[in-house]
Amino acid sequence: MIGSLRRLGRFGCNALESLGRAGGFLLLSAFAVPSREGFGLWVRQMHFVGVLSLAIVLVSGLFIGMVLALQGYTILVEFGAEQALGQMVALSLLRELAPVVAALLFAGRAGSALTAEIGLMKATEQLSSMEMIGVDPLRRVVAPRLWAGFVALPLLTVGFSVVGIWGGYLVGVEWLGGFEGSYWGNMQSSVEFLDDVGNGMIKSMVFAVVVTWIAVFQGYDLIPTSEGISRATTRTVVYSSLAVLGLDFVLTAVMFGGLS
Amino acid sequence: MSDTPFVVVEGLHFSRGETEIFRGVDLQIPRGKMTAIMGPSGTGKTTLLKLIGGQLQPDAGRVLIEGENIHAQSRKALFAMRRRMGMLFQSGALFSDLSVFENVAFPLRVHTDLPEAMVRDLVLMKLEAVGLRGARDLMPAELSGGMTRRVALARAIALDPQLILYDEPFVGQDPISMGVLVQLIKRLNEALGLTSVVVSHDIKETLSIVDYVYVISDGQVMAHGTPKSLDVNQDARVRQFVHGEPDGPVPFHYPAKDYFSDILDAGVRS
Amino acid sequence: MKRSKTMELGVGLFMLAGILGLVFLGLRVSGMTLNASGDTFRLEANFANIGSLKPRARVTMAGVTVGRISAIELDTEWYDARVVMELDSDLEGELSRDTTAAILTAGLLGEQYVGLSVGGDPEMLADGDTIRDTQSAVVLEELIQQFVSNMVND
Repeated sequence: MIGSLRRLGRFGCNALESLGRAGGFLLLSAFAVPSREGFGLWVRQMHFVGVLSLAIVLVSGLFIGMVLALQGYTILVEFGAEQALGQMVALSLLRELAPVVAALLFAGRAGSALTAEIGLMKATEQLSSMEMIGVDPLRRVVAPRLWAGFVALPLLTVGFSVVGIWGGYLVGVEWLGGFEGSYWGNMQSSVEFLDDVGNGMIKSMVFAVVVTWIAVFQGYDLIPTSEGISRATTRTVVYSSLAVLGLDFVLTAVMFGGLS
Repeated sequence: MSDTPFVVVEGLHFSRGETEIFRGVDLQIPRGKMTAIMGPSGTGKTTLLKLIGGQLQPDAGRVLIEGENIHAQSRKALFAMRRRMGMLFQSGALFSDLSVFENVAFPLRVHTDLPEAMVRDLVLMKLEAVGLRGARDLMPAELSGGMTRRVALARAIALDPQLILYDEPFVGQDPISMGVLVQLIKRLNEALGLTSVVVSHDIKETLSIVDYVYVISDGQVMAHGTPKSLDVNQDARVRQFVHGEPDGPVPFHYPAKDYFSDILDAGVRS
Repeated sequence: MKRSKTMELGVGLFMLAGILGLVFLGLRVSGMTLNASGDTFRLEANFANIGSLKPRARVTMAGVTVGRISAIELDTEWYDARVVMELDSDLEGELSRDTTAAILTAGLLGEQYVGLSVGGDPEMLADGDTIRDTQSAVVLEELIQQFVSNMVND
């Protein structure tokens, strides 16, 4: 009894301690003063986490939009409400699916790669040697990656939404023969730019911070062995997926659930 | 001034988790000389270098570099102090996304505002010193282990440091590149008048180039002296280590219960 | 750093695409218009009940979109809804004074919009005028209620 209480206490202390370390790490690196070549490093990382994730995000967005339209159409047609297809596709993408699915894909594609890359740099003593040369690795290695993630994911989310809505149009209008005017018209009259697009973007920015933070911290904090790297990579994907889904519920409750 | 030690380590205690790694280590690294820190594997020699470089915080004791306590510095001052140090890591630790040239140029670019032409000249000079001027466009992944370490050496001396720390420079090298590295380190130190600390357990190679040796075991300094005096040291533990005897005070067997009863136990269980 | 030129170009294109996507979401998906003022003119219409009509809903003539609703407010004099519409300036001075405005629904459950149909009055509506002849939204619940009470009465 006492033993299990102590284990619980130790678990709590460890969790708090690593959370504290992760928080300090985020502050130190995100607000590290950008160095002269900081912009170049950031561009490099933008290419790595943003441009190279574009393909998977866009293809997924297209398919999800198409599936939404297909499923939605067959249900809505039963109620004679197939005009509402555009509204349904756009709202579910903008508010929910694009931020969440793009963040999950981002965690799998870019997050795990960030963890592995930084972990490998740690294992091969590159981070230590950078410190010994007198360059702060938080500034040189971590900060550009963090900021690239912060910027890239919201942009990817926009791409996801656009492609998804277009995919819905392809299926709902071109293929199933819905009326084009009501697809766009219904959408336009029900989508509010600030409420729907704006809140979706806020969600996606929150996810961007959380996923990139987890990925980079896991890489920086791992045990520098091959086993440590593989574990940290797995942890990145698991933790960020859980964090994204959990936060999504909280954010949705605050934004659309009338809890504010 | 020149006869005061460059690095002084006083009463250093350090533990990792439950394990005590150092229990009161005292060292003095003389200026302009090569000092070796030796000891069996797992005695925390690399940890000691990281403590000297200020990458780890000791539990007690201090490390003075030219009279300044490196662990009492602000982050900024610490990075400034490190400009006077070079460190050669066991794996070389070249930045894998930069070419050989850019790796050596890295310290110059971040710490100086030299024009590009001057950076180029300096980098080529350092690469020439390690005999790899022709390899400047290769990527680190294309280098052999010995070449990697030579490039890392060129990078470590790029800013002309006063102190250079070598972490296991000879480990895992074939005899030829080992010979090359030994000669290179010796020549560079003589030419540049560096203060050097070599951490190693390659006894023969290390003793052939250093001026002074500290032997560490069980978290303490076990013996120190010139290579000659160590060679004739009569302490059983020192003799075992210096002459590489398989059994002695450091036992061949990992602690276990009695061999005979252990085997019989297993027989009973099955 | 050799590839940095193409890399920069790629990142630039990526960011540009993101911003264009956001513009698309604004204009095409949420129906904002860049030229909100300028070549449009305003008409007002009072409805007894607007149903679920929203700002930025379409205003159509014979099914063709000719404008958008810019504001909906409660008219405290009559306690009905005043709907402000922004119409194409091409139509300024072309709509007769007895033009009717009706709130229509696209399909059974679709969006609601305003449909205009022209009358025969020789006088034309000008900027800021009010359409007198309006037809309120058909509210589904009321229809059903009527239908049910008719059945009971029969």
